Amino acid sequence: MTATMSKSPGAGMYPPVAKLNLAADPRKMRRIIAEDPEWSLTVVPLLSNLCLQHIVRNFEEKPILEELLPRHKDYVLERLSPSLPLQVTANLISDDGYWKRCCKQRWGLCDVSSYGHSWKRMFFERHLENIIELYIPDATDPKTVLGMVPLCRNYVKRLDISQLMPPIKEPQKSEDDDNSDSASDMGMDGPSMDHFDFGILLDKLSHLEEFHVVYRVKGCGMNFEWNLFEFTFRDCESLAKALKSCKTLRVLRIHQSKVDDEKCRQLVNNLLDHPSLRELNLSHNLIGDRGARAIGKLLNRSKLERLTVYDNNIRGLGAQAIAYALAKNSSLLSLNLRLNRLGDEGGQAIAQALLKNRTLKWLHLGGNEMTEPTATVLSQVLVQNNTLRSINLSCNRLGMDGGKVLEEGMCHNSSMVECDIRLTEVGQESDYCISQVVRNNRNQAHRKHNTDENLA
Amino acid sequence: RKKMSQAGNLREDTEEAGPSVDSENPEERIAARRLRIAARSEAKKRQELGDDSREKKEIKEEARKSQHQVEQSEKVPLGLCYCYDGTELVTNIQVAADSRESQHQTEVEEAHRLRVEKLENEAKSSLEKFEEITRKWTVAKMKEIPQDLRDSLSSQQQLCALLIEDKNKLIHELQKEMKLSDDRYVKDLKKQAEDVDLMIERMEDQVKFLMGSYRDELDQIENSFEHERKILLTGNRKKWEQYTKERRDKELENVTQRMKRVEEYEVLLQQLRTEDTEEYNMIKIKLDTDVQILEQQLQQMKATYQLNQEKLEYNFQVLKKRDEENTITKSQQKRKITRLQDVVNNLKIKCANQEKQSREENQNLTDDYTRIMQQYKHMQKKMRHFAAIDAKKFEEVWLMNEEEVKALVEKALDTDRLVHEQQLGLAWQRPSLAFMERCGPLQPQRQTQKTAHQAISELLQEREGSEGEHSGTVSVKMVKKLLELLCDEAGFLIESKLLKLLSPLEKDEQSLMKLDSIFTAMGIESEEDVYKLADFFMKYRHTQGEQTQVRRGGGREGELAASHQPSMLGLGGRDDTEDAAYWEAMGDVIPEAKLKIWGALEAALDKYHIVLTERSKFITDTQSLKQQNTELRMLLHQYVNSRVCVVCVCACDCIERVCVQNVFANLTTRPLNLSTFFS
Repeated sequence: MTATMSKSPGAGMYPPVAKLNLAADPRKMRRIIAEDPEWSLTVVPLLSNLCLQHIVRNFEEKPILEELLPRHKDYVLERLSPSLPLQVTANLISDDGYWKRCCKQRWGLCDVSSYGHSWKRMFFERHLENIIELYIPDATDPKTVLGMVPLCRNYVKRLDISQLMPPIKEPQKSEDDDNSDSASDMGMDGPSMDHFDFGILLDKLSHLEEFHVVYRVKGCGMNFEWNLFEFTFRDCESLAKALKSCKTLRVLRIHQSKVDDEKCRQLVNNLLDHPSLRELNLSHNLIGDRGARAIGKLLNRSKLERLTVYDNNIRGLGAQAIAYALAKNSSLLSLNLRLNRLGDEGGQAIAQALLKNRTLKWLHLGGNEMTEPTATVLSQVLVQNNTLRSINLSCNRLGMDGGKVLEEGMCHNSSMVECDIRLTEVGQESDYCISQVVRNNRNQAHRKHNTDENLA
Repeated sequence: RKKMSQAGNLREDTEEAGPSVDSENPEERIAARRLRIAARSEAKKRQELGDDSREKKEIKEEARKSQHQVEQSEKVPLGLCYCYDGTELVTNIQVAADSRESQHQTEVEEAHRLRVEKLENEAKSSLEKFEEITRKWTVAKMKEIPQDLRDSLSSQQQLCALLIEDKNKLIHELQKEMKLSDDRYVKDLKKQAEDVDLMIERMEDQVKFLMGSYRDELDQIENSFEHERKILLTGNRKKWEQYTKERRDKELENVTQRMKRVEEYEVLLQQLRTEDTEEYNMIKIKLDTDVQILEQQLQQMKATYQLNQEKLEYNFQVLKKRDEENTITKSQQKRKITRLQDVVNNLKIKCANQEKQSREENQNLTDDYTRIMQQYKHMQKKMRHFAAIDAKKFEEVWLMNEEEVKALVEKALDTDRLVHEQQLGLAWQRPSLAFMERCGPLQPQRQTQKTAHQAISELLQEREGSEGEHSGTVSVKMVKKLLELLCDEAGFLIESKLLKLLSPLEKDEQSLMKLDSIFTAMGIESEEDVYKLADFFMKYRHTQGEQTQVRRGGGREGELAASHQPSMLGLGGRDDTEDAAYWEAMGDVIPEAKLKIWGALEAALDKYHIVLTERSKFITDTQSLKQQNTELRMLLHQYVNSRVCVVCVCACDCIERVCVQNVFANLTTRPLNLSTFFS
């Protein structure tokens, strides 16, 4: 079979003269064709191979896999079509090679390393994400989602929803299209704008650990309308309940979804005392001081290790609430408050909290309109606190004096490995000194790390 | 590692693609300056590190451990600083964007505030104006003149137009702002796109640079490997050549040696060949002669062979016949054997039956034996009991008789004494009665026992004496004979097992063993007992012969035959020869002389008796006379009482009294006469 197959391109390439003269085709004249791995002397295929081919052909009606010998199993798996219905393959085939073919066929570009090097997981996660992202409320049957649950429940660990479709109903005319606030107000009285309800899905995915969601539409182009980017109260309510019901969740990320104070409070209320939540990311939202207060409350009623709320609207009061919680907290390792409006009031509060806190290692306070007074408190922190490894103060107008104060504090510190004071109008000298200290600390840490490794 | 490489590369890129010092944005300028400083310090450091690493590599080459080398070059800390600084370079863009964003936010806020203020102001002013207008409306209403009204209306219109114009202006301004912000948004987008491009570019540059540096390092490592390999190769080639040369020399040598040896061997071969041909000829001749001799012998042997063959054939025939005979006899024997086998089996069965029967019989007999033994024991017991009772009875009878006899003796003696003293008037002397004293109520038996013992012992002594005196040989013979008899007769005392055991022994020994068992059964232990037994038999025969003690012997014969018990012998040995004497002595208490006297006395007394009877007759006569007297007197009285005869009665009484007294006087005097008569 292979011989004929390999012959045909040759025949196509050459003029008919070659066809007449058999000797011209070198393959015909050869006894052994070493370069073709499929080539074999046997003219009649083996019965076992025929059987296996039959199994492959009728796999959809009669999936036989586990009963086969390992050798035959590989043979079958190699030849199964990636377009077989998932109902047949989902729980039967665990071979990664098959799922790799499925993924490649469907998406082409795949980076399996971000899925724990499991092609199957990648396939099911992306498949489920696609289904949800294309789900249109009231138009799509929820069974399309629920039908997938028993198939992918055991393999889905992370859901990264990059868009959620609003219903197709005639969008209500908004009066002010240019004002985001009024648009969000609009969402409240438009019940038809609710998105996919996660409540029906999350409690069924027993292995879900990460959940990323964005309430917006990708690539709307010129069809842009504000109400495509809505996060309604009912959405928030259903999402919060769904999150509460998902006990295995470790990481939650809600980006760019116009989460304001009220919604933030609702979400936090449902996340209180969550058994496994470790990381919360509410960046690029509209959380203000009240939302920040709610987050502060959450800090001490959960096991959060990473909190990221950059690019929000938190001011001094909210920062004080977070700082109050931080002072008593003993689980948080990383805090990111970049691009908020803490000001000196908030910055000082956070720094004061750090004098008491002994667990936080990583702090980002970039772009928070902080000035010299915060720097003075932070220099105290640098002297007293030796758990903090990394601090980012970029884009704050600390000024020359603030830099000097920081430099003094830094001289007494031995734990800081990273200190970002770019664009803070600090004098070059203090910048240099601080970077020197950081470098020394880093080298020491590196050396220590190396010796530890060698010992191990 | 990628990050490290990025960092390394960035240094060079900063001058070209990074934020330039000449840029308009102050932040960018600052960032650019900072980058420049960092880049300079980096360059210095890199030079040092690079030198270090190269040096290290050389050292490793010397060490010639390629693995070690690789590890070391991995460890080179050149990436460490790059990492942080490189990320810093990349993040610089982000930081710049951040700062821009925050600035923008503040600006927006400020603008918002201003706008709100402005709007408020505007609202206030417009409100004022509006109020003015409304006020004017009332004024206008007051107007009655049409011109005035028109004027006022037109002024109102103007005012309204003014107000609207103001508003429009404001709207226009706001729209302008919006447009500005739209433009700004577009600009921002562009800027961001640029930033992203820049970031990507930097990253790529960094990657390139780091890859380049790593490739350099790799090349160096490879070079070192190559070098090492070359050295090794040349060394090995030299060795190889040396060895091949040695080999060639040796081979040459070997070849020459071989040639020499070949020549030598050829000479030797020639010599050997000539020698061998000579020898061959010699042997050939010799062997020819041998062949002839052997052929002759062969002929002879053939003849003898023929002969032997015939003989053997004959023998074979004979043997065949014999064999046939043998087979016939064998079959016969076999048949016989089977027959005999049957017989043997039958006999075996019979024997088994017999054995069974005999065993049963034996069982029955042993049962009988035990039963009889029990009976026998019972009988013995009874017998002993009766013997004891007999003895007691005998004793009692004896005592009773003795007492009786003694009483009789005493009575006889008493009568004798009375006879002597009263009738004869002689002095009576008591005869010596020793035996009377001796036989108290219990004493006589003890004495008899003792005497029996004594008698036995005496008898024994006598026997011994007789043994010693005259018939020592006889008694030995007798004993021997007796023992043999005992052996034969008392076979029932010997156990059957013992008999079986004894059967193979000699007769003497057999009898000895048998006797031993009999004696143990009978309880005879010492020599004395043996003699006692012998004595008993002797005596038994003796008594049988004399038949003096028929009474006892007969009684005892059965006893003895049954028991042979020595205790019985002791009891049976009681002597009763003395008894007769004893009893005779008792009988002879009154001697013959006295009896004669008593006879005489009797006769005399008889005569006296006659006399007395006569007297008694006389007495009765007198008495009848007296009666007649009294009767007469009575009659007399009766007559007297008739007053006539009283005096006579008295007289009669007196007479009577005298008569009676006379009679008595006669009677009393008579006994005296009798005594005198006796004497």
